[in-house]
Amino acid sequence: MTNKKNRNIKEEAFRYLFMLSAFVAVVSVFAIAFFVFYRGLKPFVGGDHGYSLFQFLSGTEWRPGKNTFGILYMIIGSIFATFGAILIGVPIGLMTAVFIAELAPPSLTKIVRPAVELLAGIPSVLYGVFGLGVIVNVLKNYSPTAQGQSLIAVIFVLTVMILPTVISISETALRAVPKAYKDGSLALGASKIQTIFKIMIPAAKSGIMAGVVLGIGRAIGETMAVMLVAGNPIAGIPTSLWDKIRPLTTNIALEMGYASGLHQDLLFSTGVVLFVFIMVINLILNSLIRKKIG
Amino acid sequence: MRKLKDNLLKSLIYLSAFITVGILVWILGYVFSNGIGLINWNFISNEYNEKTSYVEVKITNTPLSINQESLNEKAFYNQKVDKPLSDAIYSEKLGIAVMEVEHSLRGKKENQFIVAYIENGSEAGEALDKSGKKIGINLGDVITKIDGEALEGKDLKDLNAIVSGSNESLVKITKPGYGVLTNIVTTLYMIILSLSIAAPIGILAAIYLVEYAKPGKLVNVIRFATESLSGIPSIIFGLFGMAFFVVFLKFNLSLLSGALTISIILLPVIIRSTEEALKSVPDAYREASYGLGATKLQTISKIIIPSAIPGILVAVILSIGRIVGESAALLLTAGTVAKIPESLFASGSTLTVQAYYVAKEEANIQMACAIGIVVIVLIIVLNILAKLISKIFNKANY
Amino acid sequence: MADKIKFIIKDLDLYYDTFQALKKVNIEIKENKVTAFIGPSGCGKSTLLRCLNRMNDLIDNVKIEGAVTLDEIDIYGDIDVINLRTKVGMVFQKPNPFPMTVYDNIAYGPRCQGIKDKKKLDEIVERSIVQSALWDEVKDRLNKSALGLSGGQQQRLCIARAIAMEPEVILMDEPTSALDPIATAKIEELMETLKKKYTIVIVTHSMQQAARISDDTAFFLSGEVIESGKTIGIFTNPRDKRTEDYITGRFG
Repeated sequence: MTNKKNRNIKEEAFRYLFMLSAFVAVVSVFAIAFFVFYRGLKPFVGGDHGYSLFQFLSGTEWRPGKNTFGILYMIIGSIFATFGAILIGVPIGLMTAVFIAELAPPSLTKIVRPAVELLAGIPSVLYGVFGLGVIVNVLKNYSPTAQGQSLIAVIFVLTVMILPTVISISETALRAVPKAYKDGSLALGASKIQTIFKIMIPAAKSGIMAGVVLGIGRAIGETMAVMLVAGNPIAGIPTSLWDKIRPLTTNIALEMGYASGLHQDLLFSTGVVLFVFIMVINLILNSLIRKKIG
Repeated sequence: MRKLKDNLLKSLIYLSAFITVGILVWILGYVFSNGIGLINWNFISNEYNEKTSYVEVKITNTPLSINQESLNEKAFYNQKVDKPLSDAIYSEKLGIAVMEVEHSLRGKKENQFIVAYIENGSEAGEALDKSGKKIGINLGDVITKIDGEALEGKDLKDLNAIVSGSNESLVKITKPGYGVLTNIVTTLYMIILSLSIAAPIGILAAIYLVEYAKPGKLVNVIRFATESLSGIPSIIFGLFGMAFFVVFLKFNLSLLSGALTISIILLPVIIRSTEEALKSVPDAYREASYGLGATKLQTISKIIIPSAIPGILVAVILSIGRIVGESAALLLTAGTVAKIPESLFASGSTLTVQAYYVAKEEANIQMACAIGIVVIVLIIVLNILAKLISKIFNKANY
Repeated sequence: MADKIKFIIKDLDLYYDTFQALKKVNIEIKENKVTAFIGPSGCGKSTLLRCLNRMNDLIDNVKIEGAVTLDEIDIYGDIDVINLRTKVGMVFQKPNPFPMTVYDNIAYGPRCQGIKDKKKLDEIVERSIVQSALWDEVKDRLNKSALGLSGGQQQRLCIARAIAMEPEVILMDEPTSALDPIATAKIEELMETLKKKYTIVIVTHSMQQAARISDDTAFFLSGEVIESGKTIGIFTNPRDKRTEDYITGRFG
């Protein structure tokens, strides 16, 4: 009898241990949101060293020395860079996914797929080093400002970095298209290419979109690679591809090491803006995934 | 007309795949061709900062066992990093040979005397510093002074003549820096530490989700949390780690702050892969175990976890890849100090953080690439390992 | 009385890797007739059907020996496969309309052939739907998703889709096995009218169906044709003992 009781206690104890572990993730999410928002919103609610939210969001100059903290030009830089990377990266990624899923002979699949996996595994710092050593160097020769670090350099680096995400998710989506669609189309005398573009890709649309949204998330959140090639100016909304930009992420990483007081808090505020972007992206992603199931 | 259009699209598809593979080859080619010149044993075994100390070498009077010609050939640095400027000069008293070489590290050139050969029976390798700590003279160390006399600028003919001590000789040596041992060790610490936090929590959480949880609000909340975690960029994790571990808990920029932050990053990876592994254990096993009167806990620990181990192992290996590649979060929580951390509360930089640091702060692309080679090789090995394990695992199932 | 021969299949062997799925198959398929392939599961009847428009090309490791001629042209020779498939249409076991509108489903094939003229497409769509006896049911929902139709309607849509290509032959791979008896009856009725214009080859599981609708029948057993000829002859007076056993329901 006691034996059974002991056993039940043990069973229950472990059940709670398992549950507790599962809740670590939940607690982490809330803790992250809380700490980042707490520190990041502090400057705007007044107190002894406050800062105007409006000036923060609409300012186009970041000069901690002069107590000027505006991030509008960073928001715009981040959006431009992400948009550019999606514009170039998605077609290339989607076509590569088509290649792997539909066209490649097995011998080539064996090369391309591991290549994509390796591309996903390369640490972002190395993309930055590559960007700095190759892309920036090449661009320097064409830029009207004779400066390689620029919006376009960031776009190129981010394009490469979102490729693995777009490719692997699109490939999965293409493979999930029922074979009956493909057979039906081919039996009607459509060519393989027609079948791919008229049937497969439209049918895999929501999955591909999920890949694109994930790619956007990766691009907007990327820090280390971008930091090395962006130029990170202290002011100025980018108006051409050759302008330097200062994405939100690099603003944080560049100055967190030595910032203090209001300056540090406002770096957290930069994080809050980034966080909001990511949350919106995740919401879109979730609704896409749900649509796919429904 | 249709053929033309088809062929056009087809070539676009092939071109895209070619671009993807081409970029990878380009990146790898760039990193390897720039970094390979630095890769040698010293690069792996040296610390990043050079270290100078005085050591006492017992005088042993060991005769040279080979002739001058083969000594020159054997001279350590001869065929490695530096340009030799002299023959290797042997000292019987110390049992070592030195050679003048032109160092060209860090952009500037200087002439130095380096340890080129150590004879069997020499006590040089056992040399102690004044406090009695073993330092040891190794191949490649730079010798600047022997018994108070500086070697610099000397046209050395006879090394023995400089050694003035009778029982012991006081040698000033500089262990060359410019290596990544520091960062390799820090990376290892980081891997061990963060895995020992994240792996148990992640695995237990996955067990809860697969074996205990019933679909409902609770599970939805947990799923929402893990999905959100995997969508958050690492710089945000860095911000949190900075605010919570570094500042609030006063762990400072340290190994511990970094490892705790990374653990949170790893949670969704480990939970998801472990879940997959647990789900692939056939229900028949569970039923058979219950049918034999085992409790739920016994079934989990004796039947389900052992069957899921390969999958869990793959999760752990993938996590190691993630730790090795992480940099933004660590920059904000573990710092960039290139020293082997002496405690959990000391700062240290992993390989990738170091690569960033030398590229950004020292504009030293070559060194960043050399570190890149180490990291890429590590990641390729991990990828292959993960594939092998899942392959063996899959075979075992059939 | 001498019917024109559409397909001649001669000494056809087909291997999946090392497994031989068809063994020395010899059959002739007559124009404007319904030919039924019957036999137990895995006997090779669907495999043979898919040889007739080279759908087996899509599977890796398939090896085909022997000859299949359509109007005396070797379809495994130097011909355009796409062209072949526009001449030899196919309807599958499970209705597989594309996830697009009814109209777009039917117009898909012609569009792939480069027909862009809206008026011409309208004409083709209407004619095909009328021919497949679906017009009254879908004329008001041409621009709605085809996935909203019932199973029987979907299958007739697939037939209409095949007809839109104005093929010479329509291959049907157990077209009614996923449908209820009423929908099945409608499709059988449709086949009766279609055979005036097209040559139809149907794979079926149901012997009653073969008996009801086909003119000729071929009985398959483990990759071999055991017996082929006029349906009436095979069902009333089978020459082979195995055919008799199958028809009378002793196995399969």
